[in-house]
Amino acid sequence: MDLTFTPQEEKFRSELRGWLDANIPETWKDLRFWRGISDDEGFELRRDWERRKYEAGFAGIAWPTEYGGRGGTPGMKAIYDEEMALARAPQSANGLGLTFLAPTVMAIGTDQQKRDIIGPMLRNDVIWCQGFSEPGAGSDLAALRTSGVLDGDEYVVNGQKIWTTNAMHGDKLFTLVRTEPGSQAHRGISMLLIDMHQPGVETRPLRQISGASEFGEVFFTDARVKASDCLGGIGNGWKTAMLLLSFERGASGISQYTNYRRGYDEIAAAARKLGRDTDPTLRRELASRLVELECLRYHAMHVLTQVEQGRDLGSESSITKLQWSEAYQKLFETFDHLLGLDGVVAAPVDGLDLASLQFEAFWTRSVTIWGGSSQVQRNIVAERVLGLPR
Amino acid sequence: MYFALTDEQRALAETVRDYLADRFDLTAVRAVFEDAAGDGHPAELWKAFGEQGWLAALVPEDNDGLGLGLVDAQVLARAFGAGAVPGPWLPTVLAGEAVRLAGSAAQRAAVLGPLAAGELVATVALRAPGGAFDASGVGVTAGADARLTGTASPVEYPAAARVVVVAATEPDGGVGLYLVEPTGPGVTVTAHESYDGTTRLGALTLAGAAAERLPGSSAAVLADLNRRGAVLAAADLVGIARSTLTRTVEYDKTRVQFGRAVGSFQAIKHALADLHVAVLMAEHAALYAAHAVDLALPDAELAVAVAKAKAGDAAERATGAMIQYHGGIGYTWEHEAHFFYKRAKRLLGSFGDVGQHLDRIAAPGAVLATAAVRQAQRAQRVQTSRGGTRLSAPP
Repeated sequence: MDLTFTPQEEKFRSELRGWLDANIPETWKDLRFWRGISDDEGFELRRDWERRKYEAGFAGIAWPTEYGGRGGTPGMKAIYDEEMALARAPQSANGLGLTFLAPTVMAIGTDQQKRDIIGPMLRNDVIWCQGFSEPGAGSDLAALRTSGVLDGDEYVVNGQKIWTTNAMHGDKLFTLVRTEPGSQAHRGISMLLIDMHQPGVETRPLRQISGASEFGEVFFTDARVKASDCLGGIGNGWKTAMLLLSFERGASGISQYTNYRRGYDEIAAAARKLGRDTDPTLRRELASRLVELECLRYHAMHVLTQVEQGRDLGSESSITKLQWSEAYQKLFETFDHLLGLDGVVAAPVDGLDLASLQFEAFWTRSVTIWGGSSQVQRNIVAERVLGLPR
Repeated sequence: MYFALTDEQRALAETVRDYLADRFDLTAVRAVFEDAAGDGHPAELWKAFGEQGWLAALVPEDNDGLGLGLVDAQVLARAFGAGAVPGPWLPTVLAGEAVRLAGSAAQRAAVLGPLAAGELVATVALRAPGGAFDASGVGVTAGADARLTGTASPVEYPAAARVVVVAATEPDGGVGLYLVEPTGPGVTVTAHESYDGTTRLGALTLAGAAAERLPGSSAAVLADLNRRGAVLAAADLVGIARSTLTRTVEYDKTRVQFGRAVGSFQAIKHALADLHVAVLMAEHAALYAAHAVDLALPDAELAVAVAKAKAGDAAERATGAMIQYHGGIGYTWEHEAHFFYKRAKRLLGSFGDVGQHLDRIAAPGAVLATAAVRQAQRAQRVQTSRGGTRLSAPP
């Protein structure tokens, strides 16, 4: 056991922390600031901030330098994740591209794609969206029906995608499209890289139970994409998608822990202010939420160790997802138990403004659905980890 | 960052597993379990414990031990839990810890060498019936002449032990730890009938019994001893949880109902998947807690409470699931499910149950720490670079 980071990694931490201290305005650390400005304004602020972060050398932490990354260790990436959460840095404007698309392009993209995609993504010149889910293809992704028909050297795309993060701000979309007419299930699918700024692509925001619109819908009506703008080869889309999703294993456990731990501390502080901290039932409930969060922290160290040892993580990401999403959702159920009836009133409770936590409580209902629902994750753990029959 | 067992620690776990598979499998456990009148302390098994060094792990090299840490000891405890192994390993090791932490040089020499070699069975008597595992739960008092009076129960293997470490409240209100010979005058050992046949329990009643004080002992040492006991009990529970889950998964792969393996039904799959996650987290928590105590990390107290609460919960669920997902056969006496179920029930209550540890986590200055305390913790964490966060408020 050695839970320390190397001196080089700690030096990186203090450099990053210094930069974050100087470059995140105090006002940004209050969620109310972000909720007080328009969606477009907020996105542009985040986009510019992230560009400056890249210019300061704090992007692509563990990526090879040839791709504009920092060439850092997995430990530095974990430190980066933790420090970003501690500093309440704005959420990445290009998260899906950076987490999923970039490593996939590095692994299987053509030289041209590597040049064209990665640099502009890091500079936030191009914002990437993911086009996977459809109204009839959620957990059963292979049921997707969006079609691409070859016309000369272009595909003509028709169909609809849904739950698209940043749909209203995206520039391009890595999209699963059925390019072989009449094909079934996992066959005949390609991953096409579609320009969203064209007449055949229309986007609409989706209003969520929180009232916010992180997600949107994308409609394709004879949208066009060059056949060469395909990642991983025509007909190999399913394989490409599985490779892409495997990069989630980079294990974000430590940033989840840091964020939820802050939520926990705020909820505990609210319990004190409201005089509920003496309620023995609530105390035990809160304590059991902390147990799950601490376990998440240990699990993040476990995953980082596996990554550093070069071990195959297998289906570890399903375990990580179940632990953080369920712990996070239950934490906010406890928050609801704390407030009771006052929880449905948007006004301050006993002079305590809890609007941000109330808003977050709604968000936690989504985390056990997106990115593979808890039910899908349990199937994966049961079949691939425990070896139970299908 | 290295949060995992070393190759040596993994090999140690494998040695225990191999030994148990060859020499002390569940058939042997059953013989002990069903012989309620027996001493529950198979001589061959204990001899092997001594020869293999499994009693020497925490004994310093100066006292002919291996000088290892709680991380290594929890590897052993986990393996013993997985095999539902009977015998006074845990109470003997913990008595050794008391002597190591608070004994004089002479006491250490007298106790630790024989203990490490398997020549001395010992146990601990730290609480009154119904008492908490802390200074408030101590039911024995020490007179000015160091004679002890009162009752401690349940005590593991009081009849097999040649020396007992007894916690006693002292005339000044503090707590001391004392060495007592259970065969001496003024000492009565009463055997309890117990549902858990993988141990033997009894009460220790003292009426002005002669005792030898451990000079370094205090309420803080008692707390430390209870923490170490909680870590080892958590590890045993983690071993039980993993073993019962694995056995259940294997059974449900082959048990056919409605023309299919029952393990192919989602109702069972999802329950077992959730259990796997819970058991994995409990494994992490026991490992982290052992490390945190070994290095006296700032969050050691929190880590122990997290580990004991999580391991207790995981084992309770996993042993219950073993019965449920074996169906009727799991509810029979002939099946081994109840060895694990009953052992888990005992260990759940040992060194603080789930509720007690949750209360510790929620204690003022702990979970409800103010932002200022959290800030200080953060600063400290950066300083130590251990990745731990301090939870209890500074004194």
